[in-house]
Amino acid sequence: MMLTGKTALVTGGRGGIGRAICDRFKREGARVFAADLTPAGSLNTDQSPDDFIRLDVTSEDSVRAAFDYVAGSAPDGKLDILVNAAGIEIEKTIEETSLEEWNRIFAVNVTGTFLVSKFALPLLRKSKASGGASVINFGSYDGFLADPGLAAYCATKGAVHALTRAMACDHGPEGIRVNAICPGYVDTPMLQSFFEGDGSGGDGGTIDSLQQAVRDVHPMRTFGRPEDMANLVNWLASDEARYAAGQLWVLDGGLSAQVQQMKL
Amino acid sequence: MLNDKVALVTGGRQGIGRGIAERFHREGAQVTLTGRGVRPADLPDHFSWVASDVSKADEVAELAQGFAALDVLVNNAGIQIEKAVTNTTDADWDLLMGANAKGVFLTCRAFIPRMVRGGSIINIGSISGQTADPGLALYNASKAFVHGLTRSIAVDHGPAVRCNAICPGWIMTGMVDAAFAVADHPDAAKADALARHPAGRFGQPADIAAMAAWLASDQSSFTTGQLFTVDGGLTAASPLNPGLF
Repeated sequence: MMLTGKTALVTGGRGGIGRAICDRFKREGARVFAADLTPAGSLNTDQSPDDFIRLDVTSEDSVRAAFDYVAGSAPDGKLDILVNAAGIEIEKTIEETSLEEWNRIFAVNVTGTFLVSKFALPLLRKSKASGGASVINFGSYDGFLADPGLAAYCATKGAVHALTRAMACDHGPEGIRVNAICPGYVDTPMLQSFFEGDGSGGDGGTIDSLQQAVRDVHPMRTFGRPEDMANLVNWLASDEARYAAGQLWVLDGGLSAQVQQMKL
Repeated sequence: MLNDKVALVTGGRQGIGRGIAERFHREGAQVTLTGRGVRPADLPDHFSWVASDVSKADEVAELAQGFAALDVLVNNAGIQIEKAVTNTTDADWDLLMGANAKGVFLTCRAFIPRMVRGGSIINIGSISGQTADPGLALYNASKAFVHGLTRSIAVDHGPAVRCNAICPGWIMTGMVDAAFAVADHPDAAKADALARHPAGRFGQPADIAAMAAWLASDQSSFTTGQLFTVDGGLTAASPLNPGLF
């Protein structure tokens, strides 16, 4: 078990990737707080209410209350691992995006990462004596390369990448490592909604044929699973990764290693 | 922009090299082109031509003897071999790395001492040196070498010289025409490739020459050690088929 004795908080903890991370952390021996808007989360299925924290990452009051709770119930009031996995997607160009939508996605993806990390710092510093803390933000391969019609989402992930490096610089000396994982296509409710939003796809196929076409562009010929993301997050959270800091870890089945795949 | 500057362009027989030479000439530079073999029949008289193989140290040394001072060196000579690692021969390695990697090293070694203070070295890298084009293993790797050497020269030899690289995308040269010609459906292949370019067209040698002219000029006197991608937006987009969404 790689995380014995550690305490973790995962935002978006009842969503597709967040839930897989919570499950993995528990199997590795960590005490886990799953923070989300609702206990059912985006997977919309019930789970035992143990250590669930109702959290709106866009609300300073909600974030403060969550860490007051963690400080009172975690051993020694200490937090070793913070995973900022809460995130939303808006499938629009900038022309189609309203100011309200723009502010909403920045509030969740960027401000949420900022607020949760800010209020976690006093608890994370207490981890220094026992090997140091690890913060794992959620960037995206879309923070490097643009998918069409995802303008605001791409921009929020680019912001998370820069914030990750800045946090690593500022808080590394306090024993807090900060990294981001940058998923490609992962089979989650967010991805399903993305495919459904695009209906038949540009060339008249079904959602199934669209999904297969997208899989085929990947060198690994498949999407990632939430468990694949949890594998890397688990490593970054563990003491195995004690020298890993300030980096953006792309996990995309090789998608972004390629140049455009022309149909030659 | 380049009045009275003395420039040398390797691999100047055709394509990007010729395009850069023509632009430099229009900007007032005195341009020499070099390549393997005799002077191209269609090369205008205002260009000098020196036959030289950049992969051979003695030929490069002799080439350098002809220049008392050089303002701009463009390392454009390069070849492409369409093979993966397991079917690449030793002869392929010698040929490709000789031109694309060793050639850049040899010309830089020979010309850096002859360059005027603040002179500009422009290497032609590639988007394929950043991310992999399938079936072009050594080519991709050779361009990554060029990118690395570009940074080293900038660091080691500044402020005496500046050194930058241009990373072209799909530039319509003989190389690209040949690729479409062997496609299963050449028209569809071309339409698909076009759809992946936010600029809505393929590049022309003149597009690379425009960046080269700027890097050669004093407008870029604070610019060194960098890679400049000129690809019509190709690598800013995800590799997914644009027809899918």
